[in-house]
Amino acid sequence: MVLGTEDATPVSFWFSVLPGASVQMDDLVAVQTRKPNGAPVHFYGIVDHVRTRHEGVSFDSDVQDVVAGLLPASVSYAARVLVTRVDPEDFIPPQPGDEVRHATGESLRLALSADKMDHAFAGGLLADGQVLPVNYQFVNGESGGHINISGISGVATKTSYALFLLHSIFRGGVLNTRGEGHNTRALIFNVKGEDLLFLDQPNRRVAEKEGGVQARKGWGQGRYARLGLPVEPFRDVQFLAPPKPGGGAIVPDVEQRAGGVVPFVFTLREFAAGRMLPYVFSDATSSLNLGFVIGNIEEKLARLAGTDTAPYLTVEDWDPDQDVLLDEAVRFDELGKTRLETFSQLIAYLEYKLLEQNDGEGDPKWVLKQNQGTLRAFIRRLRGVQKHLSPLVRGDLSAQQAAQYRPDLLRKGIQTSVVDIHKLGAHAQGFVVGVLLRALFEHKEKYGRQDTVFVVLDELNKYAPREGHSPIKDVLLDIAERGRSLGIILIGAQQTASEVERRIVSNAAIRVVGRLDLAEAERPEYRFLPQSFRSRAGILQPGTMLVSQPDVPNPVLVNYPFPAWATRKDEVDDLGGRAAQDVAEDWLR
Amino acid sequence: MRPMRIRLDPWPVDIESGQLGLATFGGDLIDIETPRWAAIGARPLPAGLRTVYVVDGKRRMESRVFVEDGHGGAGVGGFGAYVVGAVSLCPHGTRQAELLSVRAGRLLAHAPDLRLDPCTLSPRHPHTGQLEYRPIPTDGPEPLAPLHKLQSVMLQEEQELSHGLASAVPFDEQDDREALSALTLQDGTLRRATNFGGAVVGYVKTMQTQYLPPDRVGLLGQLRPGERTPIMHLTSETGKTTRFTWYVRLCEAEFYQHPMSGVMRLEMYAPEEPDFLPPIVKEVANLSGTLLCRLGSKAHKDARAPQNLIPTAALEHAMNRAMGSSDLVARRIRAHIATQLGREVLA
Repeated sequence: MVLGTEDATPVSFWFSVLPGASVQMDDLVAVQTRKPNGAPVHFYGIVDHVRTRHEGVSFDSDVQDVVAGLLPASVSYAARVLVTRVDPEDFIPPQPGDEVRHATGESLRLALSADKMDHAFAGGLLADGQVLPVNYQFVNGESGGHINISGISGVATKTSYALFLLHSIFRGGVLNTRGEGHNTRALIFNVKGEDLLFLDQPNRRVAEKEGGVQARKGWGQGRYARLGLPVEPFRDVQFLAPPKPGGGAIVPDVEQRAGGVVPFVFTLREFAAGRMLPYVFSDATSSLNLGFVIGNIEEKLARLAGTDTAPYLTVEDWDPDQDVLLDEAVRFDELGKTRLETFSQLIAYLEYKLLEQNDGEGDPKWVLKQNQGTLRAFIRRLRGVQKHLSPLVRGDLSAQQAAQYRPDLLRKGIQTSVVDIHKLGAHAQGFVVGVLLRALFEHKEKYGRQDTVFVVLDELNKYAPREGHSPIKDVLLDIAERGRSLGIILIGAQQTASEVERRIVSNAAIRVVGRLDLAEAERPEYRFLPQSFRSRAGILQPGTMLVSQPDVPNPVLVNYPFPAWATRKDEVDDLGGRAAQDVAEDWLR
Repeated sequence: MRPMRIRLDPWPVDIESGQLGLATFGGDLIDIETPRWAAIGARPLPAGLRTVYVVDGKRRMESRVFVEDGHGGAGVGGFGAYVVGAVSLCPHGTRQAELLSVRAGRLLAHAPDLRLDPCTLSPRHPHTGQLEYRPIPTDGPEPLAPLHKLQSVMLQEEQELSHGLASAVPFDEQDDREALSALTLQDGTLRRATNFGGAVVGYVKTMQTQYLPPDRVGLLGQLRPGERTPIMHLTSETGKTTRFTWYVRLCEAEFYQHPMSGVMRLEMYAPEEPDFLPPIVKEVANLSGTLLCRLGSKAHKDARAPQNLIPTAALEHAMNRAMGSSDLVARRIRAHIATQLGREVLA
């Protein structure tokens, strides 16, 4: 019953728990009160505080007398409710004495505003095992878009939750009801380890883990069944990885996964024509002059690329010294032109144009009166990323190879693309993310929003830090601010939302918080969490998240099942789900 | 000549009377346990004593009224509330203490010869419950009669509760049917002449009357915590009531307090003939020091510590709560009268 000793307001009230009943935090409850004219008003809310205390005693030390049996006292068990919905919207307070009931079934749907959602997918399980619906229209860009996940790495399991959401969207039926099943895609950047390279493999431990949870909770069905999701790995997945450094054959630079990973490369011509140069520099704004040089060279390279389609670039005015490294690879043909076939040759050419031509003056048209220090800084930065970009950007390919290894994120028949960049250096990672996202963005600008693409990117704070300015950040900002109308949805994650560009975080309609550092939880980025949730964020366990969505004014705590796809090589179920003995017998037969 | 010494009465001055009054006593006092006037040490609690009840009662006059009964009769009366209640506890501390039957009774005491129906005061707010007043005639028309009626109803209920809960006390040598398994502590003197026959101890927190002759008073200051005086048989001045009585010390007196500040007088019903001390009375006297030292309160928690026992303080609190806020009840009564007279008033 609603308490009369604490204020009961339309947004928050306390209720007492009768002996024998129990309430835990995050339970959803419903209350009905009546207006003076008899019309009912329903309040739905989430329990954000529970407490017990001795009632009828006045001193803390009285507890000893109570336990010793001398002092009669009763235990008051009360809980505080944050109201998530008032129906109809008459903001009168509930009356002391009104009965508070656990919200289930229809009242649960109302408590979570599920009746307002035309299309919803499962966002996880509530503490009592009921399903949290998430409004798909606030994810795919119709009413809102983007998902942002914050939490300490390791224990907050941000990527796992992002993948669970994708699984729930792809396989939970919401796409079928909308007739979009075949068009919706995901692009996942794998930034650490080779965890995501086994998404298409079943997880060997899922049955055991989920069975354990089911037994512990005493449920009749497992978590996947409750969520209405199949226990299956991702389907129609392509894996892209940069090639191994060093010339020769193009093989993906991954160690754990033997087959099924396609290497991707950009040709030198694409690099020049596609104006990818700025993405090499993540700190272009550190000096105004450097930005100017980059812009200038970008323009010059784009002209150099012309309309030709060969993977390499040709230049007329370079006759590299014989002692310049890589000399033997430089070819003179095509009417006196020099062919640039590698990234280091391109750098050498730029160095020549900027610093060596005209006895160290450089080509005036390229230099444009910039001083030597700036030009040197430019070259130095290029040299810095040379090692990582050389395998990625190359001209020594046949046209056929170039087409084969060009990253095609929207390839037919592919639903999920995983781009593995964890082995690249920080600059090269930024380059790949920036270039791929910009290509995607430009493609979508041309073709419009009908096919939604989800982009999963961890460590947003690296790509779009709050301070400074970079081309990658510009792409991400574009996606955050305009992507939703183009059907590009960013599922971003970071350890600390306070270090990410504010406009990216604030554009996310769905915000998710895992375990947080308590100091971090007090920053303004987390004001959407009520105080009790902020202090709770410090003790969340892996597999538990606080989910805030626009339809429900208060965040809701959910847990989600163990991944059905392998997240490590040793989780891969290479026996196809059968016992080892059966497989061995097959071999012997 | 000894210097003058002043020491404090431990009770706060806003409590009606101090702990010490020391009026002289004109009745009879007979040694019944032993003629040797010396402290007797406390004994451990017998295992057979399973339950101790602490009983108290309270009453409150809520409004004085003038009643016309619709049949031509009229007279004064009063809305009153009383509550009696008990705390049931295990003296060995094996379970939690509980409040028993703390529920307010409400009376409309009125001049005799009026014909009244029960009076129900309904609140305007449906969640807050109704008040039911049972009409009961007073013994006479004088203005204090409603209060006296209320008091006597309360005492009656208190006695019934006390004796209904306690083990029976046999009052002659042959009778030993029942061992002491339930004991009732009743707040204050036993008040009535009638003996209901239960093992009920009245504990008197104050010393308004000095029952002991001057040559015996010294022992009270010398008792150590838990110790008691021998049991005496006491006959009142009027000769109407007879009691067994003894003194017990609950705690050391502080140096600034008078030496009797931790001492309490206990009494039990006694037959008029001062020749037989029932074994149960002696057993109760023996365990009283041990029991009361456990139940005694601490000065920082209760102004009347240690005499106001922990369960009693809790019981008083619960009883006050059961009667409700007197302001709210007075408003409810006014609102009830107003609705009867056809006026809108907020309750």
